[in-house]
Amino acid sequence: MTSKPSVCVAIEPDLIAAATGEAVASAASRVQSHIAGCATCRNDYAHYRALETVVGDLRSTLPAADAEDARRRLIERLADLRSRLVRYRVAPSPLGPILIAVTEHGVSLVEYLGRGGAAGSRLFREAGVEAEEGGADLDRLHGELGEFIEGRRRQLDWSLDLRSARSDFQRQVMEVTVAVPYGAVASYAGIARELGRPAAVRAVAQALRHNPLPIVVPCHRIIGSTGKLVGYAGNRVALKERLLGVEGVPVNARAASIERGAMYHYDPNPDHQYCLPTCGSILRRPLGQIRLFAHREQAAVWGLEPCVDCRPDLHPLSR
Amino acid sequence: MTPETGFEAIVTVHHAEIYRYLRRLTFRVGEAEDLSQETFFRAYRAWAALPSDANVRAWLFKIATNVFRNHARGERRRLIAHATVQASRREVDPDGPEAAAMAGELQALTEATIQRLPVKQRMAFTLRKLHELDYEIIGQSLDCSAETARAHVFQALRKIRTSLDGHVLPRTESTR
Repeated sequence: MTSKPSVCVAIEPDLIAAATGEAVASAASRVQSHIAGCATCRNDYAHYRALETVVGDLRSTLPAADAEDARRRLIERLADLRSRLVRYRVAPSPLGPILIAVTEHGVSLVEYLGRGGAAGSRLFREAGVEAEEGGADLDRLHGELGEFIEGRRRQLDWSLDLRSARSDFQRQVMEVTVAVPYGAVASYAGIARELGRPAAVRAVAQALRHNPLPIVVPCHRIIGSTGKLVGYAGNRVALKERLLGVEGVPVNARAASIERGAMYHYDPNPDHQYCLPTCGSILRRPLGQIRLFAHREQAAVWGLEPCVDCRPDLHPLSR
Repeated sequence: MTPETGFEAIVTVHHAEIYRYLRRLTFRVGEAEDLSQETFFRAYRAWAALPSDANVRAWLFKIATNVFRNHARGERRRLIAHATVQASRREVDPDGPEAAAMAGELQALTEATIQRLPVKQRMAFTLRKLHELDYEIIGQSLDCSAETARAHVFQALRKIRTSLDGHVLPRTESTR
């Protein structure tokens, strides 16, 4: 090897390239003119050409029969991984750092993080969950949530994964709560009634206390029968007040209560008429049966007509 | 919000090739299956963050290469021992015609040499010669430049060619 003339050593890379079909035209013709006069390199070239044939055979001979079985098993295990995999991202918000998590079915968790940050998230306390950070879709969700909190967006049209609900009952409570519209409030008692379990007021409150999807499942719109805000996400009543404020729901901060007297009322009646809070004795009706809303447009969504006595259309509430 | 649809398509299109790649690197069925599974698990986790215009094939090869490199650490000696056994077993082809036996022997010899190559040369050679990837993409997989990737492939070719010295090679036209 060491006795190889320097010109042969120098041309070797081009020779290999030419023999294996990777050389540019100029290098290939240089190689051709060299091997025309050099028997050793001609022999080398022939060997590399032959090797290319052997490698070509190698390329096509690997049996792939077992690949099909392997693929089938992979698909099965991927399905299992998929059902357990949760992707999450933490982002700052006007309400403090918030974690959003998604599964293949949709958003599964929106969590106000405490001092422990993401490490303290309930995500890591759930058995069988594989948590993974990141994903461009999570940036979009955080963007929309931020807009919502700042009052620039009224809807979060997210597909939700309610599988992490603690019970069927909690899932039902969440489904009913999702239907309470922007700028409206309902009471725990009202939700219980709607579920056909009027006595389960405390159970409804408990279910919402552990709501895994605050804001998007708007438990901040559910209040006590007296109009008190009661609780929110543990001890974060101030956030509830703030979210209601963003939606235009009048709140008396000192009393930690909504200003029922500054909202439209709908007491279910055959004429589907909604009223001003000053209409007759409506202000004294139990909250559990009444729909309260801050924006008159909501009446149209529900198909309600203005009351012919108090005429909320002629005397809209001022904000 | 339905990542499974797109990712299953990726598995359908690319699994066989990635599996073959890992099978070539490991020469063991079970190992190749474990490693390709690991590759697609990692890919699935990272998939949401993958830009929509990314070269999925190159991306999967990179992941598979990393998976294999992690696996190969500390396993190298065992793999070489296995390769030798495998190669000597493959050399025997009593029923085939003489030419086929000869070609089979050359192939087995080549495979055995490939397995004795340093890991980077082996991967570069496999990616280039058996999966026909661009040097640019091979470089990305191996965390080196395209030029270095090319050098790895040429080193590998040199060693394989040397190992075939003294064997009757298949006839090819000597010039083009």
